[in-house]
Amino acid sequence: MAALLEVNHVSKQFGKDTKALKDVHFSVAEGEFVSIIGPSGAGKSTLLRCINRMVDATSGEIIFDNRNVLDLKKKELKTIRTKIGMVFQHYNLVNRLSVIENALHGKLGNKSALAGVLGLYSIDEKEEAMKILNALGLADLIYKRADQLSGGQKQRVGIARALLQNPRMLLCDEPIASLDPGSAKVIMDHLKNISTNWGITILVNLHQVDVALKYSDRIIGINNGQVVYNGSPKNLTKDDIQLIYGSEAEDLIFDVGGIHAS
Amino acid sequence: MEANEQMTNVSSATDPFLKPYPDKRLKSRAWNKSLVVMRTTLLLLTVLTVYAFVSFDYKEVDFKEAALGTLTNIKVMFLEPHLKHFTFLQAVHQVFVTLGLAFLTTLFGGLIAVLLGLLAAENLSSRRVSLLIKGLVSFIRAVPTVLWVLIFAVAAGLGSVAAVIGMTFHSVSYLVKAYSESFEELDRGAIEALQASGANWWQIVFQAVIPSSLTYMISWTFLRFEINFAVAVAMGAAAGAGGIGFDMFMASNFYLDIREIGAITYFILILAILLEVFGAGLKKKLKVNG
Repeated sequence: MAALLEVNHVSKQFGKDTKALKDVHFSVAEGEFVSIIGPSGAGKSTLLRCINRMVDATSGEIIFDNRNVLDLKKKELKTIRTKIGMVFQHYNLVNRLSVIENALHGKLGNKSALAGVLGLYSIDEKEEAMKILNALGLADLIYKRADQLSGGQKQRVGIARALLQNPRMLLCDEPIASLDPGSAKVIMDHLKNISTNWGITILVNLHQVDVALKYSDRIIGINNGQVVYNGSPKNLTKDDIQLIYGSEAEDLIFDVGGIHAS
Repeated sequence: MEANEQMTNVSSATDPFLKPYPDKRLKSRAWNKSLVVMRTTLLLLTVLTVYAFVSFDYKEVDFKEAALGTLTNIKVMFLEPHLKHFTFLQAVHQVFVTLGLAFLTTLFGGLIAVLLGLLAAENLSSRRVSLLIKGLVSFIRAVPTVLWVLIFAVAAGLGSVAAVIGMTFHSVSYLVKAYSESFEELDRGAIEALQASGANWWQIVFQAVIPSSLTYMISWTFLRFEINFAVAVAMGAAAGAGGIGFDMFMASNFYLDIREIGAITYFILILAILLEVFGAGLKKKLKVNG
């Protein structure tokens, strides 16, 4: 499998002396499901946002689909962004619009400005939206307003919006951090399904180590802006977790062996 | 105070985190800068008010007589109103002319203000453009509407044209502030999500920003419409813009007919109440859908 995304020696500095990312280096193959774990403030969100340039990295290079994202001009950047879907912790839907309108927002990047402004979508686009909403179990809710949905439903709309971009890759910024365990499982199952059946690469920030172990093909551990672990979930040891989360976390985090056994 | 002291004693005795309080009096609030400024302002205002009342030059006004005279005037105005120089239907027509003036200026103002409001919102535009527009509109807003009408009357001549331009001018500045603030209060998330999907600025504005702030925009616009109605009445008199305001001006300054003023006031009052009722209904409906 060829590498779809390569992050080479990327650093990000906020202000004079806040280093959010320090020489981050990894690559992601097409179709892979990669989890990024690490304590709050370690730079997970910054890293994801550097990839689609919602945040500009200070140095290094990010190669997506053989192009360096950091060199792109405004117009090319928009084209690349349409190929990278993003899912957020707080869903980031437009509350006053319906489910289907929110989902169709994924199509805006591929439309002419005027059609997008007026919200004119073709029959094909609407049917595609219906298909995806159906696959995510939202078929009965398409005309409901986004703010009437539960958290899990909102997140599924967020995923539908990202999928309607026909993306090569999904960036998920803590997609289940605000959800109850039941809804979280539904969301993670959908993401896993998208990865295996649709062949879309998934890069997901997670807080829950057990979830990361269960779902991902590979885990990247980040602490203090640096990659401290990069490998298969099977090889993740207690020592690695201590390295990622610091020694204080040792007591809080369950027995890794137990998780592997289950 | 005693209770306070007891509280401190108890807590310092039982709570190991609290060291014994050094001062005996426990203050309920800290004297910070804002409190000092507020207190000083209030004190100054009180002193000035008292001074003003003491130092008034009352001349030989007989308070009793003056009060009685005013009451008689009010009685004649509101209890014996009549129409002499125009008919009821003409009055209704003139009220609608005034309403039209208010509507037109709000419409023009609203359309221009949406565009400028987007540019003035810091989250949608650059900081420099935002500051420039905000500075400009706050200057325009600081000058009263009447003055703008009179300024434009230099070019357009006294009349409805000057009134429309001047009132539009002031409406724009008012609505730009209202709109841009409601845009700025918007949740950044939805904008971020659309940016990340490759949508362009216009698409983000029309698909996320405006749908989310529509309720605010409508209620601000309606408020401005009510203000513009009141201003339009005054403009009818001050700038000869026509409408019921001009009839009022004629009745008071030309015919000196206080009863007719009463009748006209009733017309304006009824319309203002209707607008208020309509506005309240609109807001209620928006809240249900909002």
